[in-house]
Amino acid sequence: MKIALTSTGNSWDSKIDPRFGRAEFIFIYDEETKNNEIVDNSGVSEHAHGAGPMTAQIVTERKVDIIITGNGPGGNAARVIESAGIKVFTGAGEMTVKEAYDAYKNNKLNKL
Amino acid sequence: MKEIVVISGKGGTGKTSVTASFAYLSSANTVLADCDVDASDMHLLLKPELISSEDFFSSDLAVIDYDKCAGCGKCFEVCRFKAVSYEFNKFKINANNCEGCGYCSYVCPTNAITLVKQNDGNLYISDTRLGKKLFHAELGPGAENSGKLVAKVKNNAKKYARENNLDIVLVDGSPGVGCPVISSLSGANFVVLVTEPTTSGVHDLSRVIQLVKKFHIKMGCIINKTDINYKTADEIKKILTAEDITLLAELPYSDNFTLAMIKEVTVAEFDKGIKNMLQNAWEKINNLI
Repeated sequence: MKIALTSTGNSWDSKIDPRFGRAEFIFIYDEETKNNEIVDNSGVSEHAHGAGPMTAQIVTERKVDIIITGNGPGGNAARVIESAGIKVFTGAGEMTVKEAYDAYKNNKLNKL
Repeated sequence: MKEIVVISGKGGTGKTSVTASFAYLSSANTVLADCDVDASDMHLLLKPELISSEDFFSSDLAVIDYDKCAGCGKCFEVCRFKAVSYEFNKFKINANNCEGCGYCSYVCPTNAITLVKQNDGNLYISDTRLGKKLFHAELGPGAENSGKLVAKVKNNAKKYARENNLDIVLVDGSPGVGCPVISSLSGANFVVLVTEPTTSGVHDLSRVIQLVKKFHIKMGCIINKTDINYKTADEIKKILTAEDITLLAELPYSDNFTLAMIKEVTVAEFDKGIKNMLQNAWEKINNLI
């Protein structure tokens, strides 16, 4: 499983960014290879409109299976993610990346 | 830190009157953010003293480099906003019509057209007479609010709150269900819906509830001007029950909302009855977050 977490920093101890579209970083963890890739998503914030679909494109291009975030994506982004078959888990807004991943593993997050 | 966002769907329901009253009723560890930038007017009630101002660049304007322009007119053909005109043997961009879509720049065979970021307005940080910081913005003529601008105002407010160990960020959101509203909701912990018992009030409330549900944020609702139509107010209450939304207050129609504005104070400072109802609502919110 390849898991994307919206985060405010580039480490396991960084706080989750509760926002999807304008999340500062996308922390991608590949459970098979145990590698992480950190995508600096700050460029998206420079766009006046359409931040959600842009971030959705970034995660779909990287072929992730799961997204973990705070509040969840808005309507437009959700449509992109859904058609790509990616599952979204919310409710991690006040956790660190590590805590959010553990919470997901223990079925403590809400599935969209 | 908790982020409380006040939105209304429909304009004119009393959203900013309510938000400013909460600003007055809230404890000292609160930061205020006015994200209703198209019609930012909370500052009128809070008499801010400017601490800092920052230029805000967002929209794009197409600019023609006449050294490169071959005068082919492709830009004129493709522009759907009638922003390109032909005057005195030259193609010209009308800045007021240009939406910054970039189509002209894309089709230009000589790469004569570039998009230049425009200074759309200012971001402000102010001290208010309530002793709380206000983060707000002002747009230039014709400039529009955007998800980006709302995110900037909110991020500044949240950064200040974090650095100063303040618990609550109180956000005056924008009307509607579009990009600026989505941006004001993202990351929020609680949403206060301010509505009124009118047909469009109910319609826009229903739309905005559907939007907030997508973000899984707890909601509470204030019905303003309840007594102008009890039947429609009952309809609203049925929606709230069905959607599991807490009814925070039912305010009466009152001229004191306007009279308070004229005196440049919040309605909570002007009308004791309304103050008590809003105080009660604010306590309910604090128990729910």
